[in-house]
Amino acid sequence: MSETLVSVQDMKVHFPIKRGVFFDKTVGYVYAVDGVDLEIKRGETYGLVGESGCGKSTLGRAMLRLNEPTDGKMVFDGQDFSSLRGEELRKMRRRIQMVFQDPLSSLDPRQSVESILVEGLRAHDLDKGKEETDKRLRELLSAVGLPTSALRKYPHEFSGGQRQRIGIARALALNPDLIVADEPVSALDVSVQAQVVNLLEDLQEQFGLTYLVIAHDLAVVKHISDRVGVMYLGGIVEEATADDLYEEPLHPYTRALLSAIPVPDPEVEDRRERILLAGDLPSPANPPSGCRFHTRCPWRQETKCDTERPALRELKPGHKVACHWAEQIRSGELQPHAVKPELVEEGDGLSPDVPLVGPASVTEALG
Amino acid sequence: MALLEVRDLSVVFQRKGEEPFRAVDGVSFDVEPGQTVGLVGESGCGKSVTSLAIMGLLPKRGVTITGSVSYDGTDLLKLSDKEMRDRRGRDLGMVFQDPLSSLNPVVPIGLQVTEVLERHRGMARKEAMVEAKTLLDKVGIPDPNRRLKEYPHQLSGGMRQRALIAIALACRPKLLIADEPTTALDVTIQAQILTLMKELVHDLGTALVMITHDLGVVAGLCDEVNVLYGGKVVEKAMRHKLFAEPRHPYTHGLLASIPRLDAPRGEKLTPIKGSVADNIPWSQGCAFAPRCPNALDVCTRETPAEEAQLGRLLRCHNPVVPGTPAAEEVSV
Repeated sequence: MSETLVSVQDMKVHFPIKRGVFFDKTVGYVYAVDGVDLEIKRGETYGLVGESGCGKSTLGRAMLRLNEPTDGKMVFDGQDFSSLRGEELRKMRRRIQMVFQDPLSSLDPRQSVESILVEGLRAHDLDKGKEETDKRLRELLSAVGLPTSALRKYPHEFSGGQRQRIGIARALALNPDLIVADEPVSALDVSVQAQVVNLLEDLQEQFGLTYLVIAHDLAVVKHISDRVGVMYLGGIVEEATADDLYEEPLHPYTRALLSAIPVPDPEVEDRRERILLAGDLPSPANPPSGCRFHTRCPWRQETKCDTERPALRELKPGHKVACHWAEQIRSGELQPHAVKPELVEEGDGLSPDVPLVGPASVTEALG
Repeated sequence: MALLEVRDLSVVFQRKGEEPFRAVDGVSFDVEPGQTVGLVGESGCGKSVTSLAIMGLLPKRGVTITGSVSYDGTDLLKLSDKEMRDRRGRDLGMVFQDPLSSLNPVVPIGLQVTEVLERHRGMARKEAMVEAKTLLDKVGIPDPNRRLKEYPHQLSGGMRQRALIAIALACRPKLLIADEPTTALDVTIQAQILTLMKELVHDLGTALVMITHDLGVVAGLCDEVNVLYGGKVVEKAMRHKLFAEPRHPYTHGLLASIPRLDAPRGEKLTPIKGSVADNIPWSQGCAFAPRCPNALDVCTRETPAEEAQLGRLLRCHNPVVPGTPAAEEVSV
């Protein structure tokens, strides 16, 4: 249980912003993921939460090298995954599978369920004769709770929850060690969400899987994860066990996030104190200096916050936080104050002093 | 008399060569000034169609609307298109789910706000611009002077939704219909918008119809809650009562299937088996019967009638006895 399966070290993903028709001049970067360290132990579920645009999906994809990371490395089961090339990389990918958010667009509409599931087996030479494959397919379907008759059907014939089961069966087919699930239930209706959440838990028990669950819904993440990392603007701001995080959130952002989630109980809702954050998420192309959260933080201090980026440090065993003033906030020495919302640049988020010359793309040039 | 009285509202969609589809099936509810009424349900339960029918925004062809929607004494369903246009935006405001697709992308925000003011309050452009600025200020948009000149794509999701609320509130409507106003937003922004709406209802005495799938939002905001399933209201009660003692197996199951932030970890969720696709038509019995853990034989033979009991309306043959835990794990 305590063996480390995945270790991510100082992972960075910066997407270039390009301008110009003939010369792709890079005019800036979107700092989607900006220096993330995390460790996932074998058999555990690691939850990654944050709002849209915080880089959680990019981080998940960079770990699988679906997006090439700009910098940093990932060590998977003792091997440096980020330096693998070609055939070695392809072979290694069998052990890391992904479940996507939208089950309809991540399944090929022209492939039957059978061909979707067999495709991976073929690619990794696990297709050993018709009988064995048939047996394997039936096992997979029963593991995810679909009837055998599903094999001949096409994705559009299923409901959302069933499609997500197909996506999970496809990930399971190759006997992976790690499954990265990017928003596995957010496209589903609430009554169906619970079915898929329970299925993921059952499969983990049955096959000893390790999960990285990426989601924006803290309630779902808390339910399913052993440890949770909270992301804000490309960096992890707090990491703790799920219970600890909920019991005692240490980072101001986590506090605000937890207080913002509605609870389906009027008694609780009436009593709750909300920490309302002012303004919007700043653009990752032009992140604030120092602590990324200082523009919206109700606990912001005069010094340090806007100049020095806080490192993730362990405040108590297993509970890490990236805040200069975490101790003082915890003891109540610092009290929250009002924050005036700052203007957030939308669009490409370039600072206004960068002159934009010429059309942004070929389509724009052709009008 | 309530401000809005919806009585026995039904909406039937008819396509050539296909069976008619009853999206809304005899829905009734009242909204008083200053009151917030919630319509809750999953996708396909008819909650959005109900709101479009009230606003007169459904197409004429292929749609049959029956029942009555009386607003301040007049039946909105009987008004002509022109009369309805005069009311929409003046008496009835609406906030839609996706603020980017409900704002005009090629018109600056300022003009979109002043359009309502010019049309309904007969203001001149200059005067309307001043009012628009106050409105944007009121809904918490920083630097409104600059925002008035900007286009929707230059605003963030939360700001767009605020702008949409500003437009809806421009003429001080007595009734505001909000269709999933926070679904497209992040939780911290959702909290901002919900707080804003709560304040507006409180300060202006606007009646609010809140349409959402999120029971958490309902728990914090609505006074009365209507739970919809398959186009019918299956349970209606004041929020404290509904959440403390859900009687319909659907409401009960829905509450048991949501992971709660304040619940201890390690507890299994209790999902509702099957999906909406398993529904049977209401004419044959209870639409929820195939998914219901409490289903009896009678449920697939007779349509349950709506029964009133102690401040609650319930449509069920075999309701949940208060205090029973969620049904045992069902095989799916």
